Amino acid sequence: MASSRILPEFELLLPQNIKEAVSALGKLKSKASVMAGGTDVVISCTKGFGSPNVISLAEIPGLDYVVYDSKKGLRIGAMATLQQVADNADVKKRYPALQRACAINGTPQTRNMGTVVGNIMRASPSGDCICAVLAIGGKIVLQGPKGKREVNIDDFYLKYRETACKADELAIEIKLPAISAKNAFARMTRTTLDLSKVNVACSLVMSGKTVKEARVAVGAVAPTTIRLKKVEAILKGSQITDEVLQKVVATVPTEIKPIDDVRSTAEYRRDVAGVMVKRIILEALGK
Amino acid sequence: MAESVIGKRIPKVDSREKVTGQAVYAGDMRMPGMYYGKVVRCWEHAHAKVKKLDFSAALKVPGVVKIIGPDDVTKKPYNTTVMKLLVPEIFGEVFGEIADLNIFNRVVKHQGDAICGVIARTEEAAERAAAKIKVTYEPLPVYMTVEASKAEGKKKNGYLFTPLKPGNLAFDLPESFFPGKRYGWNDKDGKTAEQLFSKCDYIIEDTFYVPKQKQCQMENHSYVAHYDERNRLNIWTSTQMPKPVQVLIAELFELPLTRVRLTQTTVGGGFGVRLGMIGEPHACAMAMAVPGHPVRMEFLREEDWVASETRYPGHIWLKMGFKKDGTPVAVDAMYSARKGGYYTHGSGPPFCAAAFLHGMYKWQALGMQTEGYFTNEVPTGAYRGYGNPQITFAAEQMITKMCNELGLDEIEWRKKWHKSIGDETWLKGVTFASDGLNDCLDVAAKEFGWYEKKKKYAKQTGVKRRGIGLAVMQHTSGAFPMLLEHSVCTAKLNEDCTVELIQQISDLGTGGHTVITQMAAETLGFPMEDIHLKSGDSDMCGFDIGAHASRTIYCAGPATIEACESVKKQLLERAAQLLEANVADLEMKDKIISVKGNPQKSISAVKIAKEGVYNYIDAATGKTIGIPGQIQGYSSFFAKHCSPPYGACMSEVEVDIETGEVKVLNLVNGHDIGKAIHPPSVEGQLEGGAQQGLGFVLTEEYAYDSKGRVLNNDFTDYKMLGPSDMPKAKIILVETAPDPIGPMGVKSCGESALMGPIGSVANAVYDAIGIQIKEAPITPEKVLKAIKEQGLRK
Amino acid sequence: MKKRAITLTINGEEYSLNVPVHHTLLQVLRDHLNLTDVKYGCGRGECGACTVLLDVGKGKRKPILACIALAATMDGKSITTAAGLSKDGTLHPVQKAFVDESAIQCGFCTPGMVLKSVSILEKNSKPTEEEIRFGLEGNICRCTGYAKIVTAVQAASKKMAAGKR
Repeated sequence: MASSRILPEFELLLPQNIKEAVSALGKLKSKASVMAGGTDVVISCTKGFGSPNVISLAEIPGLDYVVYDSKKGLRIGAMATLQQVADNADVKKRYPALQRACAINGTPQTRNMGTVVGNIMRASPSGDCICAVLAIGGKIVLQGPKGKREVNIDDFYLKYRETACKADELAIEIKLPAISAKNAFARMTRTTLDLSKVNVACSLVMSGKTVKEARVAVGAVAPTTIRLKKVEAILKGSQITDEVLQKVVATVPTEIKPIDDVRSTAEYRRDVAGVMVKRIILEALGK
Repeated sequence: MAESVIGKRIPKVDSREKVTGQAVYAGDMRMPGMYYGKVVRCWEHAHAKVKKLDFSAALKVPGVVKIIGPDDVTKKPYNTTVMKLLVPEIFGEVFGEIADLNIFNRVVKHQGDAICGVIARTEEAAERAAAKIKVTYEPLPVYMTVEASKAEGKKKNGYLFTPLKPGNLAFDLPESFFPGKRYGWNDKDGKTAEQLFSKCDYIIEDTFYVPKQKQCQMENHSYVAHYDERNRLNIWTSTQMPKPVQVLIAELFELPLTRVRLTQTTVGGGFGVRLGMIGEPHACAMAMAVPGHPVRMEFLREEDWVASETRYPGHIWLKMGFKKDGTPVAVDAMYSARKGGYYTHGSGPPFCAAAFLHGMYKWQALGMQTEGYFTNEVPTGAYRGYGNPQITFAAEQMITKMCNELGLDEIEWRKKWHKSIGDETWLKGVTFASDGLNDCLDVAAKEFGWYEKKKKYAKQTGVKRRGIGLAVMQHTSGAFPMLLEHSVCTAKLNEDCTVELIQQISDLGTGGHTVITQMAAETLGFPMEDIHLKSGDSDMCGFDIGAHASRTIYCAGPATIEACESVKKQLLERAAQLLEANVADLEMKDKIISVKGNPQKSISAVKIAKEGVYNYIDAATGKTIGIPGQIQGYSSFFAKHCSPPYGACMSEVEVDIETGEVKVLNLVNGHDIGKAIHPPSVEGQLEGGAQQGLGFVLTEEYAYDSKGRVLNNDFTDYKMLGPSDMPKAKIILVETAPDPIGPMGVKSCGESALMGPIGSVANAVYDAIGIQIKEAPITPEKVLKAIKEQGLRK
Repeated sequence: MKKRAITLTINGEEYSLNVPVHHTLLQVLRDHLNLTDVKYGCGRGECGACTVLLDVGKGKRKPILACIALAATMDGKSITTAAGLSKDGTLHPVQKAFVDESAIQCGFCTPGMVLKSVSILEKNSKPTEEEIRFGLEGNICRCTGYAKIVTAVQAASKKMAAGKR
């Protein structure tokens, strides 16, 4: 269908605090879209997928935090932009996977507008932040009429573009655990500025040369970004040898269900996802 | 004399207004009483009949002024192109231009066909109303390939895109003009290429695919049209071809030229997409429906992908025969193109592909066929290179492969066998007057380190493999004698001895306005600041065919020079009269005309200019002071040659053999410019052209769904190389072969930049992995598949 | 609400506007205020032609896209467009460098490209070529291949550094 420079009309709500926002969302539920940076909501509107109400978080103060605590880990507020997270020293040091996913996301302009929480909530199977957070592990803090709850990222994505967030719930924060795991993110695109045709991230807790814990996530190869459980099992307790990596490369295609689309082919994604996982493991370990 | 500005790196004349955002593009225009026009297009189908059109709900939208459909506008069919004005009648018959397009359509032949138009007080009202127009379609089967279209056309009652072209065959080369339906020539004994293959030691034959690429100029097509109270139709547009488009509009709406005024606004990029009409008929039709009110109409970005023309995609088959020492003997070829839904340029670009194959090497015989079948795709038309990128992609890969297999040095082979001075250019009957290719090859090889790299990359192991590639090209400077190359310039000497150049120069960002001003300044010996170019207004400017075929400086520059020479001559003649000297003895320096060797005997040109205008007559004596009459120079210039420039491009790639990804690391392009009047502009053409060439060979192509709808009508999924993707490009302007015919020695550079990068990157990939990827764009998907299926060959 | 009264400062001038809430900043600039130096290139945040600089306090500015920003959410904000970069007829050093290096062809991307370049240098006064190229991502130019634009940003960087000394 044709899009338009002119957005469809909607009611704009500009709550001044979270309580007002949650209350508005509680009333409107699926008749409202929540807008943080606007990079997704406005573009959806141009394509005619707007909703009759837009709840903007723009005027709620204090939601743009990125805070790290050595015990509690990292907290990212709903209005923290991708650029803010990319520029954060703690994120650079401890969560390089997330840092990279933010730093290459979209364009400098959209990184100044778009938020990490928004990227997570968009639930695109190729979402770069999703892939990084899924590998690192984390929780999404949701606030609804009945209060706050936290959903583990592992349980958050139900199916294509569908999450555990209910229509009356507002995502206010992402929490990442304090980790010592070595983590990294990479993606494959057609050009530098692009959406991922495949993205991968891993987080490895090492004990000497042996992998103690492993989380490996891959995106754009299934209806949601997924963890590669078989690959993780191979890695756990192993040393990263050529043999193990070969096994990883061979296993990855058995865990993914890619499709053909305008960005790539299912065949190609199957062919390269394993290579990308191999490379991201080596990158995380600084090899 | 003012210091020469030729060859100087001076700021462009229009850069200040552009850098502050003050340059006015058509979409920026705001006028009193202005309405907004919105074209309603078919987005759902690529092939359908319009069964019902219901405006009732839309007309109730507040702010709507009028909605017009197929019955409210002229039913005269038209063609978007300006071909019929460009080509002599005899060629017109060959190309068989037909008019098969309507302003608003009852049959949809491709996604994006225009159905009706909404005129409203605001864009918002127009959009809201457009959304409420109910169009009922009867979908028809879609034909997206040559095979499907051909098969359908063969059926007795098969669907015909137009009754004017039976069998869905949009074009081929007519037997009457091209024996064997081939463009080319036979050897000295009259043998055809086909007949000569039996005498060859080495024959190579292959089929290549070239993509449907989009120009992607940054300014969307925008127009303001105004049917004014004097019954004149005014149109503001960024067309590349202002004069011919004015004529086409006049013909379409059956108005004399005095009643059509076309103003060319700042052109936000062209690259061929504006080589004819796009939205002009719709904007004009809407304006004529609301006389007295200007109507602004701006395309959406996604409309550009479905409602303006693209490069011709298709398959190119080539068969080449050589002697074992590499002597080129014969080439036979076929370019089978998907035409899209309308005829537009017909056989133009494929024919030119044949012509550029003809213009490159010294074959003893050559024959190339072209054909195009209608498909339910966005129509194809002009795009920078006009057939040359396509044939270069295929032919240069073949030449490199031949050199590899015969053990020949590919640089030396190209030096030896390319056409040179006295040989026939791309068009029969016109011979090369200059040739700088060997110098291009030498400087490029040196800069690039060709032979060092060749050695270095001979044996590689590891995941990332380097490869280097070479391609050469020849193009054209204007399209004489195939097309009309006529430009008119009037140089008006103001009374303060500054000059108003009145000349239509289509500057698409290329620097044309700057270069023309430089040429005028140089000719007159005046400073640049004393020259102002007035361009863009059909009421004022004389004829100019427009910006196409890399012609502007080569074909319009001489008109500027002639007009300025005339001004200078008139000044000198008056000075001679006043100084009682011979014109031949005079010289002009800093606007002072003096007798050579006797500077005291002089007169100011400023005085002559002033007295020419303010020439008072003494009532008593009837005598005047000075010589009366404002000086004007005039030229109506017809180019009589096409001085093809050469170019040699070398590029280096890195191929990841585990992922198939290709990274272009660097690129050196030596270009046979003849003389660079404004070097930064020439470099800019070559640097920018490289981005489009690399896009052709690596990333750019339309994607369609099974119903013929474009899947990537945005920058998210139509991928062009960005700033970080572009390799370091070294452009070398070779000026060792100034053209004896081109003004001040120039040859063209507007389109030349694409071919080298396309062919050289394809060859570099071939060099890296030992496999030729014959389908452009060369995506990682294709590379990896080829490696998987064929194994690394190097 | 369907309309909102906002105060928006553009190039140092304060505007009191009553904007329909579904209007983008681009629409408000181009169609309400006729500030056409901000261009429509794609309308979807892909091309950067509509880039403006948003003041974020402490003399800092960051580039955003007018085509996907809702004007109604920008109450109290201050923005700079290409027309506001030059003062009293004197070009900003980045604009000057674009002119001097012939980094401009058709000019349509130029206002956004110049603003983006300013933001790159405001964040990092001595960027590497790679940083400049990566910083320019999101601003599409189809004419120049970015070569002379990169050169212009490098030249401006040098000039501005010299000016500070």
